[in-house]
Amino acid sequence: MINQLPIINLMLLMGMALAIPLFRKRAFNRTLVIGFLVMLLVLVLTVVMFVHVLQHGSISYHFGNHPAAFGIQLLVSPFSAFFSMFILFLALLVYVYSCGDATEGIEEKEYGRYYILLFILMFSMTGILYTNDLFNIYVFIEILSITTCAIISIKRKKETYTSAFRYVMLNEIGSLSYLFGVAMLYMITGYTNIELVSQTLTTVWTSYAPNVIIALGFMVIGIGIKAAIFPFHIWLPDAHASAPSTSSAILSAIVVKVYVLILVKLLFKVYGLDILHALKIPLVLTIVAATGMIMGSVFAIAQKDVKRMLGYSSVAQIGYIVMGIGLLSFMGLRAAFFHIISHGLMKAALFLSVGIVIFYKKNRQVKGFDGLGFQMPLTMGVFALAGFGMIGLPLTSGFIAKLNLGLAVLDAGKGFLIGIIVLSAFLNIIYYLPIIIAAFLKTGPEEPRPTTIEKVPKLMLVPVVMLGLLILFLGLFPNLVMEWVEAAVSTLL
Amino acid sequence: MQFIQAIIDNINYIGAIALFLIGLHTVVTHSNLIKRILGVNIMGTGVFLFFIAIGNVTGGQPPIVDPDQPNVLFINPLPSVLILTGIVVVVSITVYSLSLAIRIHETYGTIDQEEIARIISKEEGDD
Repeated sequence: MINQLPIINLMLLMGMALAIPLFRKRAFNRTLVIGFLVMLLVLVLTVVMFVHVLQHGSISYHFGNHPAAFGIQLLVSPFSAFFSMFILFLALLVYVYSCGDATEGIEEKEYGRYYILLFILMFSMTGILYTNDLFNIYVFIEILSITTCAIISIKRKKETYTSAFRYVMLNEIGSLSYLFGVAMLYMITGYTNIELVSQTLTTVWTSYAPNVIIALGFMVIGIGIKAAIFPFHIWLPDAHASAPSTSSAILSAIVVKVYVLILVKLLFKVYGLDILHALKIPLVLTIVAATGMIMGSVFAIAQKDVKRMLGYSSVAQIGYIVMGIGLLSFMGLRAAFFHIISHGLMKAALFLSVGIVIFYKKNRQVKGFDGLGFQMPLTMGVFALAGFGMIGLPLTSGFIAKLNLGLAVLDAGKGFLIGIIVLSAFLNIIYYLPIIIAAFLKTGPEEPRPTTIEKVPKLMLVPVVMLGLLILFLGLFPNLVMEWVEAAVSTLL
Repeated sequence: MQFIQAIIDNINYIGAIALFLIGLHTVVTHSNLIKRILGVNIMGTGVFLFFIAIGNVTGGQPPIVDPDQPNVLFINPLPSVLILTGIVVVVSITVYSLSLAIRIHETYGTIDQEEIARIISKEEGDD
């Protein structure tokens, strides 16, 4: 039974997406309730799978019982089980938030379509994590990118069309480069299964070095475009700013991370450390990450729109993750994975609290935050907490992530990178702190009146507060999650 | 002569890479949205041709099993199967981006990237 769980999870999510158009009476309410139950069920099943995988080793599932050389194999290792658990949990919180009407800017009859897209999104992301086949990853990537584009352009607003179009074009270049890389690897090895490819590569790669290098280049650039790694980030701020708030949270906190995880899979499971060291990949990744960390923050300072600012901040934070990956060490990966978790929580909290502000105040300019802390203490409190996390103040999960990254950098003997981490943290202060100060220390145009709780639907407020508590919790007790992160890392190295 | 022979032997790969580059050039440099979508398609065709060319076995037969002739050399059918999926994916991307182009044409009255940028910056200037 437990061996069938990966496919059952995928089928549940896909089945839910297909079932939504069939609801007739009170369709919206039914969608919300049944969708919530399905997501909860999938999350529970994933947790069961994770516990099982930790104790008994990976679950492998062969479609139609074809051998791995021709067929498609799903492989649930602690790595994929842990991250699918994280993704589903975060998505569940965002889902609860979206029930309390934050499907801002979407027409009422499109609500159903929005949830169809959301479930297909979840389906493709869990698929990417489970699958152990390079071509299968390509197919899931395409499903993912088409649904994200559709979610961005679901609002019937002018600017969303152009940003979605730019996104789809760049994404397509990315996917086709990735496919080209897969073709190159297939040329050398004759397999698309990750395990078989990596076995063959370790023995033959010196004879086909140019092929291996070109394939790696194409695949890394392809995924880099999709993960918004620094020079390829241009599509991200527009796309994330124009999407509805709930989807911005999902896109920025989860979808981008999934692409980074594909990169991790590619580097560590397909290529392996020996080839990467021989090709000087750590150097390339470190340079890219360092420029991204600085430039992303510099661009963010110049933004007037809060959501665009958060988008650029994501570019900088992806830089941290890539730097951790680029160290190619146990410590580095550990820091990168912890940062994926912590940034996921913080970015979701930021986008959702900004979503409440937009819902309530119809304002998305940085200037308009004066005195908001008095009117919406909880929302702005969580915003401030997540902002502090981004800066890396102690007691938040962001601090632990940066601390671990610093330790990893020292451990790898690249102490000068600490300077870049600190500089990037200072730049974060420049754009997060003014908003927090304006919200709590300035008085706005309206009379400040002490209200205990803001008039926002409870369903919107609860997930945001939970995210805030989780950020604190991870900052105080990081070891609980760190154990799981280390289990995930040890399946890769 | 050897050089020409090398080109003829690898004509599939050279053609595939040429198509890929032509497509990439079209996507990146043109400002007409329809031409950019066509560029993506050309790029995709290049990759697909490359993939299928890998599966070719010199002197191989199409992979249809004939019970009378058990020991026939087949070409590798797997890349063709994979590419069948790939074609479907690119078709759906094309359909989606074409529908976006229709929406853009409805809202801005043009499908030229530069003109759209001009209209947008004009509107922002008015605010």
